[in-house]
Amino acid sequence: MTKLSKVAALAAFLSTGVSAGALHAQTAEVLHWWTSGSEQAALAEVRKVFEASGGEWVDTPIAGGGNARAAAVNRMLGGDPAAVFQFSIGQQLRELADQGLLANVDKVASEENWDQKLPPLIVKAAKYDGDYIAAPINIHGENWMFYNKAALEKAGVDVPKSWNEFVVAAQKLKDAGIIPIGLGGQPWQERIMFNSVLLGVAGREFYAKLYSTLDDDLLDSDTMRKVFETFAALKPFVDEGSPGRNWNEATSMVIKGDAAFQFMGDWAKGEIIAAGIEPGTTVGCAFAPAIDTAYIMTVDAFAFSAMDGEEATPAQAKMAHVMLEPDVQIAFNKKKGSIPARLDVPADSFDSCAQTAIKTLQDEKTHLVSTGLFGVPSAVSGAIDDSISNFWNSTDMSPAEGQAQFHQAISNAK
Amino acid sequence: MPDPAQDVLHYSATPQDAHQKGRRRWRPQWTARMALIPAMAITIFCFYGFIIWTFVISLTRSRLLPVYKFTGFDQYGRLFANERWWTAMQNLAIHGFLFIGGCIVFGYLLAILIDRGVKAEGLFRTVFMLPLSMSFIVTGVIWQWVMNPGLGLQEAVRALGWAGFEFNWIVRPDRSIYTLAIAGIWQQVGLCMALFLAGLRNIDPNIWKAARVDGIPVWRVYLHIITPMMRTVFFTVFILMSAIVMKAFDLVVALTGGGPGFSSDLPARFVVDHILNRQELGLGAAGAFVLLCTVIAVIAPYIYFELQKERSGRGH
Repeated sequence: MTKLSKVAALAAFLSTGVSAGALHAQTAEVLHWWTSGSEQAALAEVRKVFEASGGEWVDTPIAGGGNARAAAVNRMLGGDPAAVFQFSIGQQLRELADQGLLANVDKVASEENWDQKLPPLIVKAAKYDGDYIAAPINIHGENWMFYNKAALEKAGVDVPKSWNEFVVAAQKLKDAGIIPIGLGGQPWQERIMFNSVLLGVAGREFYAKLYSTLDDDLLDSDTMRKVFETFAALKPFVDEGSPGRNWNEATSMVIKGDAAFQFMGDWAKGEIIAAGIEPGTTVGCAFAPAIDTAYIMTVDAFAFSAMDGEEATPAQAKMAHVMLEPDVQIAFNKKKGSIPARLDVPADSFDSCAQTAIKTLQDEKTHLVSTGLFGVPSAVSGAIDDSISNFWNSTDMSPAEGQAQFHQAISNAK
Repeated sequence: MPDPAQDVLHYSATPQDAHQKGRRRWRPQWTARMALIPAMAITIFCFYGFIIWTFVISLTRSRLLPVYKFTGFDQYGRLFANERWWTAMQNLAIHGFLFIGGCIVFGYLLAILIDRGVKAEGLFRTVFMLPLSMSFIVTGVIWQWVMNPGLGLQEAVRALGWAGFEFNWIVRPDRSIYTLAIAGIWQQVGLCMALFLAGLRNIDPNIWKAARVDGIPVWRVYLHIITPMMRTVFFTVFILMSAIVMKAFDLVVALTGGGPGFSSDLPARFVVDHILNRQELGLGAAGAFVLLCTVIAVIAPYIYFELQKERSGRGH
């Protein structure tokens, strides 16, 4: 099989060389922002299968999500779109569809019954006007809590199950000379921690309702006040060097045992694996403390430019098909650190953290959206990040003021 | 050194002649005009055209893509209700004042010290000019390390035994904006020094001789005689540094990322962030336009004042 795919890849390579410029029916340019080692390795799994099945892959990596999204849109407007491009699913993608710039992959989706196989929330986000305008390739979880087992043992604390327990444990860790929370002080990381607190204190129903309706009463509620109070109570447990720190530096603090906990998405597993540790062994993973089980999902997806007409070209359809093939889903997601977008893929070859996630997602009630890239309009998402970060870093803002500011920022943005 | 009084005499002696000469200078040959057309077209289209386009977009509800559904001044309303915008504008004022002021004061002092005939002048000039060869991104990264409380200056001094030493401005929301000025001055002070030095070298040595004969102390010569003569150099430095402040983007991105929170954000970063990352084209355009108006409001009177003074100094 691998030999065959190598031959196919070689053939594909040769044909690019020979027929440079000639429009091949199965050629697809793929624009994406996956430039780091693990990301590239993951995408190579998709490429391998796509090329083995006769497609020709033209790779256009652009570093940085914002840059890549801007480039995809600019090229579309300039009349030279990339056939397949990575994009976040949600409001922005629908805006592109609204302008008639996207092709749909309905044929593949209905043949393969995506409606049944993907989580309903993701189905909703990937559709515009009933048509599939994107192929979701994976699910990342954002409410993970990674911890250093040796550090916890040294301070004599267990993995906390509630935020009250967490604060007690954090104090013990601090007394033992360990930084309780390794936090990268950038707005999106602070928001990930805030959303974990929100979910943990207010529960999954409140979380889902809050971010789907952005309702004034919920934003003003006492529950929300409690969330801000709990969040504020975590401030003393972060070290001085936190502001501006990158997430992977915070992860390596946990790996080394300088810090005990990190609240981060499951892409942190990539760092842990790179350090030669199997996730779930000396560095453990658990959901952040919460009153009920839930999984805050963020999704990587690829969309398809309208090349001729509304329907996807054969190459685009093939890409959509390949991306959601069970084998590709497994190979891709093991390298990426995420879990398959399809919930019917066997879980047993994944690490223990991913297995927990896949098992959790079998229950639809646990499905929640991240506010990062796909849950809410990007203007609201940005306003949330800003106001959370402002509250977290302020030395004199009370929880009530933080809550009022949060409410105000969301009202202005929606 | 031409005597300024003579200068005035020369020009005002024949105003008619000067006037006509001026007119003739502004009537170029048609070939020259033709040659200028492309440059003018590019300037008009790319510069003024896009200013107008930005303004038009700021009146629409464009998010990801430009759409021409006009909503009046809604985007400006949203902009002015945005706390982060006001923080950014306030930071621009603080940073602009400290950065321009710092560059002028330190640049001038360094130039004077070198001008006093310091040994190894070439070495000092090179040392002070060297930071200029680095981009703002590199400058930002260097200073981020220096000012990082866990691994930079604070840690180094503490390791020497002064345990209570504190220099953690970069992680303090109320101080982070000052770190921008520190890094910015460090980078640009060399350029200012070179400009001031060139100015000082143009001063007629006879002035120094005259001052020595009159027994005026050196500091008074600098303060009351040399500095007023350097007016045009100050003007040049001010304009150059203002341009750097207004478009300051890379330094803040590399040094603080606008943080902690958005405490060290600047308007240019706000605009880029909203247009590229948040798909808020309309709001970003409104920010850009307000920034432009602010720049014009602050800089234009000064330029007008200086040019007016120059013209009246020559012409009447």
